[in-house]
Amino acid sequence: MKLTRRNFVKLVSALGASAFLTTYKSDIVAALEENKDYWHIAWLNGGACTGCTISFAQTADPDILQILTEILVGNSGLPIVLPDYMETIHLASGSLAEEFKEKWKSGKAGKRILIVEGVIQDPGYCVIAGKDFREHVLDAVRYADAIIAVGQCATFGGIPAAKPNPTNAKGLADFLKEEGVSKEVINLPLCPVNADQLVVTLAAVIIGAKVELDDYGRPKMFFSTNMHNDLCPYRPYYDKGQFIETPGEGEGCRYKIGCKGPVTWTDCPLRKWNNSTSYCVEAGAPCIGCSEPGWPDKFSPFYEEVPNLTSAIIDPTKLGTGIFGATLAGIGVHAVRRSLRRRKEVEENE
Amino acid sequence: MSNVVIDPVTRIEGHLRVEMHTKTLETSTGKWTVVDKAYCSGTMFRGIEIILKGRDPRDAWIITQRICGVCPAPHAEASMQAIEAAFDVKPTPLAILVRNILHGAYYIYDHIIHTYLLIGPELGVLAKYPPMVPPALGKEGIAKLNLGSSYAQALDIQRKANEIVAMWGGKFPHHQTEYPGGMAVKPTADKIAKTLSKMTEIWSWVANVMVRDFTKILEANERIGEAVSAILDVDFRGLQDLGASTGNFLSYGLFPDHENYDDWLSILYSPGYRKSALIQAGAWDGERKAFDLKKIEEYVKYSWYDNASGLHPSEEDLPKPNKEKSDAYSWLKAPRYDKKVYEVGPLARMINTFGMKWKIPITNPVTGEDFGYFEYEVQNPQGSVIDRVAARVAMTLLIANKMFDWLEEAKSYLGEKVTVKKDKVREREGFGLWEAPRGALLHYIKVRDYKIDRYQAVVPSTWNFSPRDDFGQAGAAEKALEGTWLPEMSVAEICDAIYPEKDIDLSPLGISKVVSWGEALTPALKQLGLARLNIEKVNGNEYNTTLALLVIRSFDPCIACAVHVLRC
Ligand code: SF4
Ligand code: SF4
Repeated sequence: MKLTRRNFVKLVSALGASAFLTTYKSDIVAALEENKDYWHIAWLNGGACTGCTISFAQTADPDILQILTEILVGNSGLPIVLPDYMETIHLASGSLAEEFKEKWKSGKAGKRILIVEGVIQDPGYCVIAGKDFREHVLDAVRYADAIIAVGQCATFGGIPAAKPNPTNAKGLADFLKEEGVSKEVINLPLCPVNADQLVVTLAAVIIGAKVELDDYGRPKMFFSTNMHNDLCPYRPYYDKGQFIETPGEGEGCRYKIGCKGPVTWTDCPLRKWNNSTSYCVEAGAPCIGCSEPGWPDKFSPFYEEVPNLTSAIIDPTKLGTGIFGATLAGIGVHAVRRSLRRRKEVEENE
Repeated sequence: MSNVVIDPVTRIEGHLRVEMHTKTLETSTGKWTVVDKAYCSGTMFRGIEIILKGRDPRDAWIITQRICGVCPAPHAEASMQAIEAAFDVKPTPLAILVRNILHGAYYIYDHIIHTYLLIGPELGVLAKYPPMVPPALGKEGIAKLNLGSSYAQALDIQRKANEIVAMWGGKFPHHQTEYPGGMAVKPTADKIAKTLSKMTEIWSWVANVMVRDFTKILEANERIGEAVSAILDVDFRGLQDLGASTGNFLSYGLFPDHENYDDWLSILYSPGYRKSALIQAGAWDGERKAFDLKKIEEYVKYSWYDNASGLHPSEEDLPKPNKEKSDAYSWLKAPRYDKKVYEVGPLARMINTFGMKWKIPITNPVTGEDFGYFEYEVQNPQGSVIDRVAARVAMTLLIANKMFDWLEEAKSYLGEKVTVKKDKVREREGFGLWEAPRGALLHYIKVRDYKIDRYQAVVPSTWNFSPRDDFGQAGAAEKALEGTWLPEMSVAEICDAIYPEKDIDLSPLGISKVVSWGEALTPALKQLGLARLNIEKVNGNEYNTTLALLVIRSFDPCIACAVHVLRC
């Protein structure tokens, strides 16, 4: 089957990116090679932990070397080329590194991808080559033909923006809004970004497939399924009321050790991590909801059932009633009753 | 005097700026520029410790992992051990084995990434060793000129090591399966078998490729020494004379014995060695001394904080950032042991555990085939670039060997409890002492009213990349940079100065030409826009920072970690 722009996203959503990547790897590579053009990528790191870079380096199929040698380069005539600028793996340091950042801007129009990792903070908290990270971002955004924010930090603020947010950190989209810049940002949250999701998104951008986004700027192909309702292998335990009470011990659903699956929209159980090896819940841990805006504050304590889970996380003004309804049904009447009762108790105690 | 600045230092984690004040070294062969004084500065601040206050103590390890995405697992572990000390709960023996397996695989990934991707390019180019040179001529070049073959394989092998972490941790970076008193992951025979099979492949790569590559670098080292000595007319033995620091080495120990966890914990209460652990604790200052937790203090005279200086981590307040503070030049603090500068990292771990001579068996754990030993003697008691690289290779092999023992042991504990559940505590404090690949890592937690009241992390890169302290002592890396040569030559020119002979045959690429190493690198560098690699221009002069970067990278800087409270 030939990989056209039209059926690209359709296929990805139908298969889940991992399966898609495995099945259609050669088609993707072929489709990308048809571009015969060098894609210019700048990967900026702000208030980050660099976990997203490391996560990206774990991509297996295609692996990172293949991406760098065959996909991003295509038949541009160049030998292996690293992204024009990527702080963590680039060979250049110091002033040459800064020159590369500049050079990216003069790359061919329509072919410039900007990837941002990490939060954007108040001035003075992240300075690179004497210039505030805010300036680096605003400058690059002007030239970018596609912008991808990777990881919780660059999308929704993540850990650095958690209470009391000492440096007034925020995600890229919020920062741009504040600066009056209107450009579409593709948000790939999770902490860190999932390598497969990034590879598929890059592929979609490069072959010109339109990536449909949800209200939070996340590609619908990855973030429109509820982990608990639609995907969790432990769901039958939940329905039977069989729960794990001590982490690591026993068989059952992880809800009582704090699993936030019911209010988390991501396809982790399908795609998994590190070459589809596992994911948090499968390995035994609760999901802590790192795909969602408001993480971590709205999702902690991580090991407790959050008593007002549904109302805290679902803002009915933002989400369609369909999803809201589905969640309530999915969590089950008993959980909702309990959470209402708990909330009442909390109110009474206050 | 000039002021040579590298900003940003790339191929590290986080944001680092290094400023070097130069002086002139006059010898019979000419005038040469060397580093007089160096100043390391971290340029980003997030304030993770501030964010932790008021949270559920059990959440701390998940949040502190996000201090660094390159070494998240060690932060998780140090934090978890601090929580466990505060909760007064011990992990079960099975949990300790599972943690050792998870963190062992993590260590293998990290040391490989550093050796090949981060410091590897400079090493390979300087040592004229094509397998370690990044694949500058594309897939063709990799295959035909053997360029970057190890570099490319390293990417593959580190991924496999991380798949082991994901198997036991759910994912990597930021695994999710630890819990106070144990692990949330249930070990199964299937998981053990899968880990064994991945480890078999990883082990033979480490034993065959990584050890061989290091041996080749070591062979070239003498040549580098001779050539540089002749050029500068100084006595320079090789990379063992590059990056010498204080000769004080600190290690907290790593990989506890699952049957002797009390030995592991005893160090929190009295000076000790953690002798039953795979890597031991100690404070080496020319001889081996017991590690004493009470002797750690952090100084902030030259850091952008208004906090009191010289306090023990358990007494320090949350950071009070002050970007305007005069004299300050970094967001990093200056941790000191017994008021002195100590180097941390793989070399510190190896020296504190095995002294100055190491002998690690290379026996295939599966087939029993015997390949002798990896033997190494520390070449510079003050520490150096080559010794730090050697320690990283030695540790990778040591841990790869040990993984098989842990997996074997875990089998006999299958079915036993992996977690003991413990109620939360109302009020108590706890320390966690562990090692990140880049060095000693301390987490401290104080719980009040079931919530985190105070949290403090003293991390490896604050030890190695600290600014000056209140006594004026330069940090370990600042000290190590002193005297480093900043050649006024391009990378290719340096290569040709060391290896003038023409012996690189380009015919596999269809070019019938035999050229020198520098000539061979030139077109590749040019095509990638890297002709001016590592050149910094100051007042019309051009300085090559390759050697300085080797020194910096030999410490494996991880700056977001060091600047969780600081700005560099
Ligand atoms: S609560 Fe968590 S573990 Fe339980 S079924 Fe839902 S998603 Fe799965
Ligand atoms: S399972 Fe939950 S916590 Fe784990 S990565 Fe997915 S969304 Fe994040």
